[in-house]
Amino acid sequence: MILAVLFANSEGNILVERFNGVPAEERLHWRSFLVKLGAENLKGVKNEELLVASHKSVYIVYTVLGDVSVYVVGKDEYDELALAEVIFVITSAVKDVCGKLPTERLFLDKYGRICLTLDEIIWTGYLESTDKDRIRRLVRLKPPTEF
Amino acid sequence: MAQPLVKKDDDRDDEADYSPFLGIEKGAVLQEARVFNDPQLDPRRCSQVITKLLYLLNQGETFTKVEATEVFFAVTKLFQSKDIGLRRMVYVMIKELSPSADEVIIVTSSLMKDMTSKTDMYRANAIRVLCRITDGTLLTQIERYLKQAIVDKNPVVASAALVSGIHLLQTNPEIVKRWSNEVQEAVQSRAALVQFHALALLHQIRQNDRLAVNKLVSSLTKGSVRSPLAQCLLIRYTSQVIRESANIQAGDRPFYDFLEGCLRHKAEMVIFEAARAITELNGVTSRELTPAITVLQLFLSSSKPVLRFAAVRTLNKVAMTHPMAVTNCNIDMESLISDQNRSIATLAITTLLKTGNESSVDRLMKQITNFMSDIADEFKIVVVEAIRSLCLKFPLKHKSLMNFLSNILREEGGFEYKKAIVDSIVILIRDIPEAKETGLLHLCEFIEDCEFTYLSTQILHFLGIEGPKTSDPNKYIRYIYNRVHLENATVRAAAVSTLAKFGAMVDTLKPRIFVLLRRCLFDNDDEVRDRATLYLNTLGGDGTVVQTSDDVKEFLFGSLDIPLVNLENSLKNYEPSEESFDINSVPREVKAQPLAEKKAPGKKPTGLGAPPAGPPSTVDAYEKLLSSIPEFANFGKLFKSSAPAELTEAETEYAVNVVKHIFDGHVVFQYNCTNTIPEQLLENVTVIVDASEAEEFAEVASKPLRSLPYDSPGQTFVAFEKPEGIPAVGKFSNMLRFIVKEVDPSTGEAEDDGVEDEYQLEELEVVAADYMLKVGVSNFRNAWESMGADCERVDEYGLGPRESLAEAVNAVIDLLGMQPCEGTEVVPNNSRSHTCLLSGVYIGNIKVLVRLQFGLDGPKDVAMKLAVRSEDEAVSDAIHEIVASG
Repeated sequence: MILAVLFANSEGNILVERFNGVPAEERLHWRSFLVKLGAENLKGVKNEELLVASHKSVYIVYTVLGDVSVYVVGKDEYDELALAEVIFVITSAVKDVCGKLPTERLFLDKYGRICLTLDEIIWTGYLESTDKDRIRRLVRLKPPTEF
Repeated sequence: MAQPLVKKDDDRDDEADYSPFLGIEKGAVLQEARVFNDPQLDPRRCSQVITKLLYLLNQGETFTKVEATEVFFAVTKLFQSKDIGLRRMVYVMIKELSPSADEVIIVTSSLMKDMTSKTDMYRANAIRVLCRITDGTLLTQIERYLKQAIVDKNPVVASAALVSGIHLLQTNPEIVKRWSNEVQEAVQSRAALVQFHALALLHQIRQNDRLAVNKLVSSLTKGSVRSPLAQCLLIRYTSQVIRESANIQAGDRPFYDFLEGCLRHKAEMVIFEAARAITELNGVTSRELTPAITVLQLFLSSSKPVLRFAAVRTLNKVAMTHPMAVTNCNIDMESLISDQNRSIATLAITTLLKTGNESSVDRLMKQITNFMSDIADEFKIVVVEAIRSLCLKFPLKHKSLMNFLSNILREEGGFEYKKAIVDSIVILIRDIPEAKETGLLHLCEFIEDCEFTYLSTQILHFLGIEGPKTSDPNKYIRYIYNRVHLENATVRAAAVSTLAKFGAMVDTLKPRIFVLLRRCLFDNDDEVRDRATLYLNTLGGDGTVVQTSDDVKEFLFGSLDIPLVNLENSLKNYEPSEESFDINSVPREVKAQPLAEKKAPGKKPTGLGAPPAGPPSTVDAYEKLLSSIPEFANFGKLFKSSAPAELTEAETEYAVNVVKHIFDGHVVFQYNCTNTIPEQLLENVTVIVDASEAEEFAEVASKPLRSLPYDSPGQTFVAFEKPEGIPAVGKFSNMLRFIVKEVDPSTGEAEDDGVEDEYQLEELEVVAADYMLKVGVSNFRNAWESMGADCERVDEYGLGPRESLAEAVNAVIDLLGMQPCEGTEVVPNNSRSHTCLLSGVYIGNIKVLVRLQFGLDGPKDVAMKLAVRSEDEAVSDAIHEIVASG
């Protein structure tokens, strides 16, 4: 299951956090843990270069995209490689929505659409769509082209 | 530094870069949500408000029940709008709000309409929303549509239904299981994602049916699975099938060819999954392992960090069981030590530490030294633990490894990290005699500047044990005495005890130690002064330097082999009187065994009122109970009480279990009886014991239970005499005898007349283990050495064919009834030899230590070497006898 998707700005403030199957009392802990992980490791990292960590049986893949950092946390079948696939879908779809690498302002301007995009990509912990063109169409309630 | 918990807008003052959500406030947004109720809806404005609501929710903000209900009702109005963008937002919003069951009804009809809409995308989204908020009853209504959706030609609709199925399987499994045929069809879909989702769901539906999973895997491994994600799932299910197929001889492992074939797949994800599956096969051979290791080695130098991480993580695991197989990758892994991603670097180092040979240790340590300064404490702990194992593997390298540990001990670090280093040094000192003196000096230097009281006291205690045994104990005194000047009271008190130990053990140091201890008499802390006074008085600090007697040493520094909880209980029960408290009266059993509760399930309580408390369950309570019965009062001190053993099957009319109480010259059986028939009252309950197969036992007393009402446990006892101090064994057959009286369930009153009846119980046995108390020792090696070889008895035994080494180890532990020490009862997988350390106290309060060395002799035969040390050679012989006859 994909346990969490989290976006933060360069100062570590949360822009989007979506948890699946994580009890409410553990969310705060995860939030601080991920942001700390990013603060310690993301400096100087190139856009979309993936970083990876694991804690017991939980995996974390994270990266930088313009002014925002993105974290995905998973367990079981969503191990580091599956999460790399998930984060790749997320970053390419977000770039697609923003038209370029997002600044924080741009990200917030497109906030509604980004929420819809995430809703298409992950549905309560499972990867549902992987192709950015298809996602772009689904967000507009248009059927996929390959169909 | 990041401030994660501050909302994004609170700290921005840059006018040019205003956030659209600047100053956002929940109350204001909820007010704005009233636009949803406007008769003339403005889709753009409504979408903006929903975005704001989502922003709040996505930042962890929560709505109260009232707020959520209000927003939900308002959002449902938006179904009136035909605006597509807004409709999409409405779907997300409803999912986020997760309305309660009584609210769902409001949107059900709108969503059902969308679900049967001609617009595919309405269908897909309506399915997702409905499945998120639905309950069982609604689900049966829409089941027909969902089954159609699974095989819909639009892949988005099919995926929506399949993923919904995965979620619904948790809550409504019986409904989802009816979709098998449709899901099976979807597995054959040409759309890659549909195939992936269908496979996941199909496996979940069939996961408890081993044959069906086997069939699924067989058919799919022959065909072509399009999606790499689905292929990964298939590999996982395949390894599950392989794992579950019993007794596979290497060479003809089913599906191995499929896994090996996947190593040549074009998707890296699939290659990796196959490689990992192969490395995790039970009893994998080097031939099977080689192709997997080769691809993992290639991944080590991949430009993608995730692949490098995945590869090194897998190799790290392989190194635990097959270190030789991984050595080929060592050069690639060495280059990963400088990987920017510290998780990768740490895994690389710990793998290298597992696979490295003696000659590469120094080079490796040099590389690690540079690396340690820029990783977090949790990584450092992993490295320290790996170095400890390496040092135990190559004791000759202790100098450089110990130096490394002492260097990192001086650097900055948190408590857990420092504790890991200190623990490692202590273990190395214990296990590598040559490392002792340098190790102790490193610890001494550390306590000169240690900020953790716990670590200082632990080290001082350890110095007190090991320091006096070194060639020059004198050199440690300075470090210890410095603590008395410089530290807090807890550390000072520990330092006083350590000084006293040196004084007691090393006669030449005694006069000088006394001088130091006398200085401590003026300490401003009570505990420090008290300890100094005690030591000076008992060690003879009045000026006469004499050799300290063993009794005094035992009194001051002997290990307290009594559980503190038991001591505390005994002290609480002790009533001040002429008779002083006797520490030997404290029970030594490690922990009390809770009595197995046995009640017929589903039985309702009767009018008998609250059930009385069950029979006593702790050793302490047993002792009280037995001493309150006059017949047993003169049996002396209770040596041991066994765990309750069931004498009846579950769910029978009468539930009886027995606890064996062992005294020096007697054995008492306590039968705990429960009557599970509401219509019966039992009276005059006794157990008739036939001891014809227990020749050394003679029945001396029996205490019947006067009355046993329904569901109200009671006890009856039978006592036997046996030869004093002798661990007599035997078999006893038991018959429950009682008078049964009918009870009127409406009034709860029993009839006056009863009928005598009997009920056969299972046999019980008194075995050798009943005469052994499970008493652990904290340091087996020390205990073994201090016990000495005078009463040692060593012999070898063949245990015959056994299921596994672990099974043989457990059988011997159970036979002897002793306490396993230092976790040695756990046998690592695939090991062919094992050493197990046991400790206990035998009847007569004789300490016993046992060292068991097991080895596999041939494919299944287990051979065992048994070394016993005890305070009495007769006891050492007795232990051998137990094993020989067991």
